Formats: sequence, C-alpha cells, structure tokens
Amino acid sequence: MPMQTRTISDAARPRLAKGVRLQTDSTTGKNVLLFPEGIVELNETAEEILVRCDGHTLSEIVRELAEEYDADVAALAADVRETMADLQQRNLIELT
Amino acid sequence: MTAPRPYALLAEITYRCPLHCPYCSNPVSASLCEAPRRPQGGGYSQTHAQAKRELTTDEWRRVIREAAVLGVLQIGFSGGEPLVRRDLADDSIQLSFQSDNADLADEIAGAGAHQRKLNAAAKIRAAGIALSLNFVIHRRNIDRLPQIIEFAETLGAERVELANVQFYGWAFLNRAALLPTWEQVNSAREIATAAKARLAGKIDIFYVLPDYYETRPKPCLNGWGQRYLTVNPSGDVLPCPTASSAIPDLRFENVRGRALDWIWRESESFNRFRGTEWMPEPCRSCPQREIDFGGCRCQAALLTGNAANTDPVCEFSPNRSVVDEVLRDTNSSSSYRPDWTYRINPNGIR
Repeated sequence: MPMQTRTISDAARPRLAKGVRLQTDSTTGKNVLLFPEGIVELNETAEEILVRCDGHTLSEIVRELAEEYDADVAALAADVRETMADLQQRNLIELT
Repeated sequence: MTAPRPYALLAEITYRCPLHCPYCSNPVSASLCEAPRRPQGGGYSQTHAQAKRELTTDEWRRVIREAAVLGVLQIGFSGGEPLVRRDLADDSIQLSFQSDNADLADEIAGAGAHQRKLNAAAKIRAAGIALSLNFVIHRRNIDRLPQIIEFAETLGAERVELANVQFYGWAFLNRAALLPTWEQVNSAREIATAAKARLAGKIDIFYVLPDYYETRPKPCLNGWGQRYLTVNPSGDVLPCPTASSAIPDLRFENVRGRALDWIWRESESFNRFRGTEWMPEPCRSCPQREIDFGGCRCQAALLTGNAANTDPVCEFSPNRSVVDEVLRDTNSSSSYRPDWTYRINPNGIR
C-alpha cells in the first residue's frame, strides 16, 4: 500500500486496536496476535512493532531497532512503515 | 495419524435463545439440552440425568483449562444466546443483527429484538469493548446490503461479518425460503467488494460467500480436527458445531466422560476425517486436497447422505447435480416458497 505508507508520520504512535491482544503461544514460545475470531502469526518486524505499542513513536521504534539489529536506518524505517500500514489496514493497530 | 495442536475452541454454552431465526445453524433436534439445575462440580462423572444438561460453570472452567494445555489460544463463547447464561465475562462481543430495518429484523428474528440490540450496541461501545457485528444474509435481506453496511458504519463496529447463510440445522430445513437468486448473489458480491475497499483501515469487512453458487468448496475448518474444536452445551466435543446433527452415524465423546486431550487426539470422531487418507476420488488425487480438504463433511452428509463424499459444491463432485437442482428451483420464480419455519427453543422456552 504505497500511498498509505507515505501518510504515516514519524511521530505516529501505534496502539493495539480494541479487542486485539498480543499473547505468547505456549506451544511454540512465539508471540501471536489475537483478534475477535482470529489469530495472526507474526513476522519479526511485526512482532518488534507490536511489543512497542505502548506509546513509542514510529521514529523511536526505528531508532531502537536500528541499535538492536545494527541495521540501516532508512531501509529499516521503510520496512517498519510498510508493516505498520499493513497492520493498520487490517485494523489490528490504531495510530494516534 | 498424529494430531496437530488446536488453535481455537468454540464454546457453545447454551442452545437457549430469545430469538427464533429460521437460519439458525443449531441442531433442529436440540431440544434436549436443559439448563443445569444445581452445581455439580467439575469432575468426570456422568449420570443419566446429567447427560443432556448444560455444562456447569465449573465444568466449563475445567474444559477451558484443558483446552489451554492442549494449545488453544482463543475461545469463542457462542450459542444459542450466550448471555442467557449469567456466568460470562467478555473482552470482545459479536452482536448479530437480522437487518438494518427494525420491522424486517423483528420479522426475521420472530421476536421484537432489534431495538434492544441497538441499546446493547450502545452499551458495548460505552464500555469500550470491541464490537463485531454479524449479519446473516439471505433471500429476504440481501437486497438491503448497501443499507446494512451503512447501518454497520453508524454503529461504529470494528469488524463486520456479512455471512451468506450456510445450510445446516434450521437453515437447511428452510433452504427454499432463504437461498438467494443468482442475480441477488452477483449484485451482493459487487457491493461487498466495494465496501471492503472503501472501508479498509476503518472497518474490517468479512464477506462469507454463498457456497452453493461457488464451483469449489469452502476449506471447511481448515481441515477436520486440524485447528478447531467445539464443545456443545451438554459437553459433547465436536470437530465442527454442526456435525452432531448433520452426521448422525458419528459418535461424539463428552467432556463429562473423557479428558479433552484424549478426545482431540484419540477419539474416532476427530480422526475419521483427519488428513487426506479418508478421501475418496476425485479428492484423493486432487491437487487442491490440502487447500480445500474436500470441503465440508456436514454438507456432504446432508446433500449426499455420506459424510465421506466430496462436498457436492465442488464442480468435480459426481453429486454436483444435487446442488444444481436446488439452484434451478431457487432461480425459477414458480418454485419459490417464501414461508419458513421459525426456530423453537430447547424446553419450549419462548
């Protein structure tokens, strides 16, 4: 969703949408996202964003991940934006 | 074969309901499951008198603990009308409406419920609980799909399910009155697709196809005994909520007599259609066999008399003509029978 991607600002704060819950699957040890009548398995980027749905801004998330993974900030920012847009599109997160 | 781990449990806590919707998928013969009379503890014992009684709160607690150990991540409380029971707490609620229009909605429900549902939706919103709306779509309300979607928008739901009626239970009995025409289905598909695109990021719209009009069957349950299990009001454990009425020769185990883990892994009912070994042709050699799993076992049983047959919705099924005949009748105005039989309650509750 390229158009959507451009509209998310650095200051946007992702929050889990109402009725959505991040939970550890005790069978696999991995985090999964639960929403009414559905379960989403997460890729690494999505999981890193979702554990930071506690008031972090997009730019703070990118900065933390850049340090943690020693990754290129621009590429990382694009990846985070795209994943956030996808999660928002699917009503799993809200941006405030 | 080895059992996978389940993801979701459907807890049908009661078949009782104040409504009488003719499209209900509950068993027509569900009469038989009464409210628990007194606390009975959560153990495995079973007496004849208890056999058809609703599970108690303690029994449900035990079932839920066992389900979590088995790997279940999510539980849906369903019915009947789950709120008939007073022992329930929620963090998201799915509310079903029969239409956007009060008169039509109440006529379909066979009860004056629409206004009360509106009040309930307002209370759910005010309490900050996630709201999903469900509309069962059929011949009598499908032409109002644009208004129904608009109505859902004004109620401020996070998620809207527009579910074409599936023909099990009461709906199977009332099929001639409920199945929409080709023209209706085509128009509804366009409306739903457009709404989904327009509302993306605001409301998650989930459109359930009318499978009689498809050429390939739905991937029912993502495979029998693969991801889901249902416990019905009296504690029978079902691979699918409609299996107990649609497949009479299958015997189901009860949580009062067995541990959930054993039932999921070992019982005959869960293993009968697990995997692909049970499949007849044309499923057995079909490249789609692990995509649609041969479709729906209940539908095969209801339409062909044998649950092990290919779902007759499939264009490759030798029984597809059964579905085509139904569609032919539906689309000829002379054979349309608008009258339906309203669902009646267990215990004759009205």
